[in-house]
Amino acid sequence: MRTLFTLLLLALSAGDALAQAAPRNTLVVLREMDADNYDPIRSTARGSGEVVYMMSDTLVSLDWDMRTVRPGLAERWEISPDGKTYTFHLRRDVTFCDGRAMTAHDVAYSIMRWVDPANRSPVRWRAGPVREVRAIDDFTVEYELTEPFGELLYQLTLFFASIVDRNTVERLGQNFGTQGFNGTGPYCWVSWTPRQELVLQRHPNYRWGPPIYTNPAPQVERVIWRVIPEANTRLAALQTGQGDVTQYIPNIAIQQLRNVPTIRMSRQENYFWDFFMGFKVDKPVVSDPAIRRAINLAVNRAAIVRAVWFGNAEPATAYLNPLTAGYSAEAAALVPQFDPAAARRVLDEAGWTMGTDGIRVKDGQRATFLLYGLQTNEWRQATEAIQADLRRIGIEMRIQLWDATVGWGRLATQEFDAFVMSYPYISATDGFSLYFDSRNRPTPNRMNWSDPRTDAALETAKTALDANVRMAAIAEAQRIVAENNVWVPIARENLWLAAAQRVEGARAHGIYGVGLYKGLDIRLTR
Amino acid sequence: MSAVTVAPSRPGLLRRLTRDPGAAIALVFVVLVLCAAIFAPWLAPTDPFDNDLSSSMAPPGTEGLPLGADAQGRDLVTRLLYGLRASLAMGFFAVILGGGIGAALGFLAAFYQRWLDAPIMRLVDIMLSFPAILFGLALAAILGPGMLAVVLALSVATVPLMARIVRGSALVVMRADYIEAARATGMGDGRLIWRHLAPNCLSALFVFATLRFGQVILLGSALSFLGLGAQPPNPELGAMASEGRNFLFFAPHIAVIPSLAIFAVVLAFNMLGDALRDALDPRLRV
Repeated sequence: MRTLFTLLLLALSAGDALAQAAPRNTLVVLREMDADNYDPIRSTARGSGEVVYMMSDTLVSLDWDMRTVRPGLAERWEISPDGKTYTFHLRRDVTFCDGRAMTAHDVAYSIMRWVDPANRSPVRWRAGPVREVRAIDDFTVEYELTEPFGELLYQLTLFFASIVDRNTVERLGQNFGTQGFNGTGPYCWVSWTPRQELVLQRHPNYRWGPPIYTNPAPQVERVIWRVIPEANTRLAALQTGQGDVTQYIPNIAIQQLRNVPTIRMSRQENYFWDFFMGFKVDKPVVSDPAIRRAINLAVNRAAIVRAVWFGNAEPATAYLNPLTAGYSAEAAALVPQFDPAAARRVLDEAGWTMGTDGIRVKDGQRATFLLYGLQTNEWRQATEAIQADLRRIGIEMRIQLWDATVGWGRLATQEFDAFVMSYPYISATDGFSLYFDSRNRPTPNRMNWSDPRTDAALETAKTALDANVRMAAIAEAQRIVAENNVWVPIARENLWLAAAQRVEGARAHGIYGVGLYKGLDIRLTR
Repeated sequence: MSAVTVAPSRPGLLRRLTRDPGAAIALVFVVLVLCAAIFAPWLAPTDPFDNDLSSSMAPPGTEGLPLGADAQGRDLVTRLLYGLRASLAMGFFAVILGGGIGAALGFLAAFYQRWLDAPIMRLVDIMLSFPAILFGLALAAILGPGMLAVVLALSVATVPLMARIVRGSALVVMRADYIEAARATGMGDGRLIWRHLAPNCLSALFVFATLRFGQVILLGSALSFLGLGAQPPNPELGAMASEGRNFLFFAPHIAVIPSLAIFAVVLAFNMLGDALRDALDPRLRV
């Protein structure tokens, strides 16, 4: 009787252990937070993108170098001499998850759905100035613009441009992407338990993966995207085999994980996700160019990056990553580098005199401003470090960090004088058009930056037919913004992917911050 | 004319208080902590806001940093002194405000038992049904996170407890013959409460305030830990523990030192409260 009891107990505990460990031939991806929905055109969250990339495909794909556009659903494409019409020739073997063959009509439908004002996509502008997208025949799509848009192919690699099944969209309506999904991706939607897990099943027909992968087809039967908000729990789950792969690693743990023999780490060198502080240029104190220049001079980026990111970021010495297409070295040289003595000199010359409380004053106005940001581990620390740097030159920065649920709303208001944020970009024109175009006020142009010369340069950078003219124009935009110190660039984050021992072929990609992209080469050895 | 003249000032209070070695240690510790908090600006070796990122997370015992440094590279000795100051000030104001209002309610309920007892005690029951943490969250949402919200939340949490204790003790006093005698001399209500009722409830009030002080510091630290109290860069013990929590596996001292400080302070105040109870009025012992 007693032995029976012991055996029972053993069996129970063994069963429990099995339930804990990641199941066979199922990849468990660990992540920090869930997305609000998985409809490509309705979510701008990275959490949405990482799953949408697995469930659907785009016309073109992006190589590991983050510059080269490769075939996707389109095997080749032509651009008309006036730069206004793109003709995409589609693969003929593509099917949706429900088995229906994908045709040019589906492509036209998906893009037109994206740009239709009625659907209110927050990223509609990324599709360019579309006149019409139409199917010429079953496998040829004509993408016609009202004016040239040099960024189009880059934008079409983003998950917003994913091709979706019209029938499913119409059947589910507003619930598309929350109750179901039907795309042409390597994995198909099975179920979603919000804030817990999203389950995907291998797409059996799939063999049209981007050429950047060795395998054109997925190697794993099931993928479970599991949400574990707490960083230490996530790390423990990875190390105990309850999870297989994650890109959400606390910075402090990266060096340590690299020394763990059972964890495979992969780093993407060409990763464009930058942290910056922006000023509302029409607010008191920060409207003074001298203040903005002094702040740029006073912030010790190198020290902050060391202390906050533990070396897993580079100090952002300029507005863009030097590896980005369209980066201007000449404009980058205009960004002030750390020199507190020069910062004090700039303020003295501009008439800001030191007050008795250690904060400078000019014309009865104290040098104080209010900063908004999202409540994250990095920002909590980095803003405090910046605050201390600024106190040393006599500027007071008041910090108010918000939880993400209310933060985005607060960041769309005019209540604050400066803000901190981080963002992904593909190219110089991509990043700058998003933030510095006067038409994008009040958000994402939260700086209220409204300058006709910047707008003109951005327009040329997007529409000029000659690549050299486009490059010169985007360099001009970078120069204007750098001269005016509209931002304080702070850090360029690195992308690391940590994988458990049984995972092979996990390589960090990083498009829109997404670590796995299609994940086609991932195999499980156990 | 002050309460001191009639307060239980029997000789040897200090001696009776320190009869128990535990209580003696607690008393010495509390005095030390109070001094450290009051004189923090003079005792602290550095400026509490001055960071030095190059010594970020320096472990205890590093040259010039006996307790190490936090994630911002700020001296933990300094942060601890200022943190104690903030935590104790928070507890002090909460107990004075909440205890004061609570005691007044208790006296009124006991004195005007016929008219006010039922309404006041039902109000107290309602207040008791709100958890302090929840109330703190609501206040922080209205006033914005900060020390004011925490002090108010803790005061509100203290009012009903103090009101009950004082009412109970005042009801006993109300039955004493000297109250009847004083009333017979034609003494007014206000004077009666102030001169005869209050002084005789003082020991219960004082003991509870001391015990409550420790609890309030613990609760306040919890609220600050949740980010409702002191905002960065201001040091406060609970907020410091919260900041260090993210580095618990890598630099445990950042969270452990302020947590130990909270533990020691709360324990000391509890022991002192117990000893005070024994010394002031053994009858209060349950």
